[in-house]
Amino acid sequence: MSLMTADQYEESLRRLNLVVYMFGKKLDNVVDDPIIRPSMQAVAKTYELAQRPEHEDIMTATSHISGKKINRFVHIHQSTADLVKKSKMGRLLGRETGCCFQRCVGMDALNALSIVTHNIDKKYSTSYKQRFLKYLEFVQENDFTCDGAMTDPKGDRSLPPHKQPDPDHYLHVVEEREDGIVVRGAKAHQTGAVNSHEIIVMPTIAMREEDKDYAVSFALPADAEGIFYIMGRQSCDTRKLEEGLMDRGNILFGGHEALVVFDNVFVPWDRVFMYKEYDFAGQLVEKFAAYHRQSYACKVGVGDVLIGAAQTAAEYNNAAKASHIKDKIIEMNHLNETLYCGCIACASEGHREPGGTYAVNGLLANIHKQNVTRFPYEISRIAQDIAGGLMVTMPAEQDFKSPATGKWLEKYYTAHCDAPTVNRMRILRLIENLTLGTAAVGYLTESMHGAGSPQAQRIMISRLVNIEEKKRAAKKLCGIEEE
Amino acid sequence: MKRLKVAIKYCGGCNPDYDRVVLVKRIEERLNGKVEFVSAEDENIDLVLAVEGCKTACADLSAFKGIKIRSVTKIEDVEFLCIEHGHSA
Repeated sequence: MSLMTADQYEESLRRLNLVVYMFGKKLDNVVDDPIIRPSMQAVAKTYELAQRPEHEDIMTATSHISGKKINRFVHIHQSTADLVKKSKMGRLLGRETGCCFQRCVGMDALNALSIVTHNIDKKYSTSYKQRFLKYLEFVQENDFTCDGAMTDPKGDRSLPPHKQPDPDHYLHVVEEREDGIVVRGAKAHQTGAVNSHEIIVMPTIAMREEDKDYAVSFALPADAEGIFYIMGRQSCDTRKLEEGLMDRGNILFGGHEALVVFDNVFVPWDRVFMYKEYDFAGQLVEKFAAYHRQSYACKVGVGDVLIGAAQTAAEYNNAAKASHIKDKIIEMNHLNETLYCGCIACASEGHREPGGTYAVNGLLANIHKQNVTRFPYEISRIAQDIAGGLMVTMPAEQDFKSPATGKWLEKYYTAHCDAPTVNRMRILRLIENLTLGTAAVGYLTESMHGAGSPQAQRIMISRLVNIEEKKRAAKKLCGIEEE
Repeated sequence: MKRLKVAIKYCGGCNPDYDRVVLVKRIEERLNGKVEFVSAEDENIDLVLAVEGCKTACADLSAFKGIKIRSVTKIEDVEFLCIEHGHSA
């Protein structure tokens, strides 16, 4: 198959037997659930754009295994040009969907594993890379969406995995069998989990020998026996259950997160890519994190949408010519394009790892993500400033349609511009959606904590920056001579 | 007279300055009957029209070695192209 269409993707999800709970009930139909469906449509966009000539240059790549044309989301980066295209793909899809399109995490897991399985094999003469490549071929051939599952619930943050009062607070091996292993635990905040065909599990922190039962990486079908999903809530999520579309803000797309529970789940050996090699757990975390921090290129695309919405709102308010509004729009663009600089730079400055996979520049990827923890908040603040308070005080769509109230809302909420009042309300709802509604999960809090919280990047920045070279440069210029 | 076979090759469109698809439609309408638009996989392409969303012009043209390539990076380029190929505005 190699490249699925959006329709084929949707149909393929219908064939999965996922066990999903939401609002205390088990769902009979995940794909058509009104709360979840917009997130499925966002993933479907990754399939749709790959089919379109005007986007195939970014959305597709040539498999280094089969030589076939594949979706870039299942590609292993073969050059810095591939890495740059990955960043551009993030911006494109962020702008097309205005939300998290969920598929980057699996791509980042695949690429991190392609590096680390090679490195484990070199040290321990194992055959993980061979297993991984066979799995990768399967994923590429079927054009699967993979959930990359790293974040454990972590329990007591002051304790390592093996000292947790509840050992399941980090996913771990509970049994070794001749044909595979049995694992138990959970992965939290899993973006796009129930829109995925496969789930790729990785450890969440660097580990020591005492934690070796927790140093495990593997892949399973998303509907493997013993895996179930408990959906996370999002601000304003039940607006998707209401009549009408306007109050959703983004009427087409959304994201989702879930807690994924592994209740004594069997993993066959051919799906295991790390087994108790605790000394490589940290490397897998770092490689994945660097790729995933680059992936926040998507927020630039979402930023494009928010800037466009703010400018439109200003025009609908007949305020766009005010100098302070112009300056605020400039500031939003400055911040957004600064983010773009980071994701392009870490890709352009990437390098070839020993196994042949190209990795991003770790320092620049962390710098980029650190900016992402801040700039979308400031962009959102300015957008709300420009939008005005009506964004959060306007009545419901039903009130605009009601014979009793509609005429009054039309009378008092017109801004005497060319645009119909309803359009003015639509653009305000979109800003609300992005800055404090369902999409704020992705644009704001995910920007803060996704791919690691701000402090995680600061630790990496301190480790990766070459402070000695900076000191040497300074001392040389002022005549300090040291041996 | 043999009509020129023109293939369209887009860049990926990450952050285009204009609507590339609309531009191509406009070109196709203007040059309808004057040139033959063919698939980028066609074996007898005379001219590749590289439709680039911005001046970075990053469309992958490696498959078209030896073939004449004409790039457009902005909407105004449509006029030059149409005049070149026999259709005045």
